[in-house]
Amino acid sequence: MDYLGYILISTGLLFFLGTTIGLLRFPDFYTRMHAAGKGDTLSTVMILIGCICLVPMGLLLALKILLIINFIFIGSPTATHAMMDAGNKAGATPWRKDSK
Amino acid sequence: MLLVLVRAVKGPTVIDRLVAINVIGTKSIVLLLFAGILFGQLEMFVDIALGYGLLNYIVSIAASRYYQHRNSLEPEHSPGENPVS
Amino acid sequence: MPELPIWQFDILLLILVVLFAVVALSIRNLMGAAVVFGAYSFMMCLIWAGMGAVDVAFTEAAVGAGVSTVFVVSTLYNTSATMRSRPGGLAFKLFIGLVVTIAGAFLLSALPDFPKWGASDSPVNAKVAPYYILNTIADSHVPNVVTSVLADYRGFDTLLETTVVFIACIAIYSILRVDKAKLETGEPAAAPVPRYDPGDSLIVRQASRFMVPFMQLFALYVIAHGHYSPGGGFQGGVILGASLILLAISFDLKSLLRQWSEKTLMLLVAAGVFLYAAVGLACMFMGGDYLDYVFLDSILPGEKDMARSHGILLVEIGVGITVMFSMIAIHINLASNGRFDRGL
Repeated sequence: MDYLGYILISTGLLFFLGTTIGLLRFPDFYTRMHAAGKGDTLSTVMILIGCICLVPMGLLLALKILLIINFIFIGSPTATHAMMDAGNKAGATPWRKDSK
Repeated sequence: MLLVLVRAVKGPTVIDRLVAINVIGTKSIVLLLFAGILFGQLEMFVDIALGYGLLNYIVSIAASRYYQHRNSLEPEHSPGENPVS
Repeated sequence: MPELPIWQFDILLLILVVLFAVVALSIRNLMGAAVVFGAYSFMMCLIWAGMGAVDVAFTEAAVGAGVSTVFVVSTLYNTSATMRSRPGGLAFKLFIGLVVTIAGAFLLSALPDFPKWGASDSPVNAKVAPYYILNTIADSHVPNVVTSVLADYRGFDTLLETTVVFIACIAIYSILRVDKAKLETGEPAAAPVPRYDPGDSLIVRQASRFMVPFMQLFALYVIAHGHYSPGGGFQGGVILGASLILLAISFDLKSLLRQWSEKTLMLLVAAGVFLYAAVGLACMFMGGDYLDYVFLDSILPGEKDMARSHGILLVEIGVGITVMFSMIAIHINLASNGRFDRGL
């Protein structure tokens, strides 16, 4: 059980590193949000599940952390969708490979 | 998290900063839980983490709604202003 | 408990806080500055959590990083999001810098006189705190010392704080509220409602429909469980208010006003303060001092020494009600510019 926790947390941190690098290096706002929305949610969920496996805790606490995972799993992609929609309506133009 | 802050500083458009703050918020929830594990009293910190997770979502939605409405109202407050500058 | 790496955590967070504050102050676009201020608020929450002050951290996360940022965004929605260029030349800025540095140095010179952090012979830890820590369970059966100090030992303070929140709500309402009957023709008409609401999104609506009941249930848990875990009336009230704000921004503002009419909102804001004051008056009627909960035991269920615990619960419910409806009333006022018809 402990090993599963360690594996999950390190994989989560790896995904977060990928998210950050993507956030910094992608050329356009839309692609950056792609990286941020997916990678951030996935890495957070993995780290939190790893926490559940790793730390000895009662049932109530595990249920509460599952509730946090639930809200982040549903809320963060919706927020990404809303921001993408807002960027589209406000007129940000997507990056094309041939320009600049 | 410091690297994400760099994006918040540099981001050429405002929505970049919004994305960066959303990511920082989600990661801070994880940081809160780590602090709880370090202190040995996870029960206290889980409540705060849960509360902040919900509120982070609200701030992102509110800020996006602001930008969704901008292009549909005719009176622009200063002419020639780039809405996403 | 093993040796905790507290001071590394604190130093990292302090550096982050200063960084965030500098970034927030230097962004020219006000929307970006508002959002970064929200993150700065959350860093402060982490610092307080690192110090072990979880109730304060919870309040800061709920108010500063959540609702306060939404208020600023609503205000920016009705004003402009760009800053005008600042007046004054270089000499002015140097003068301001000098004044701020002198004031800061003056404040910092008092630093060596503070007792060491957490020392057991400072006046706080030697005389005041042990009384509360030792006596709270014997007096009121409430393990959370913060809640018992706030609502029982220092109950007057909390009553007046709740009144301050109430006054803030009333002040914003009376400044911004536009009475349609007295509207003159000189007032610029609001922009005509577009037929297609660009902010209407099925995904956001469905997700909010899912999240709002859980938020409210969690907030009620925070209010009721404030005796045993960090929380209490204020934090639960803010989260309840935030759930209504979520309904207002993901659906239409008008649909929220259809459920909670303006009269209901303002009456309920006052009802919370009234509940708190009425509990105090009831104690006087039972023969004790104002807000002395011991005398309520004849009308409250349970045994005699649970009276103070139940009194604290009643008072927290009052605080929660006031704060909840204050938050949503202030948001509606700010977002619709007082017109109460259409907003963020």
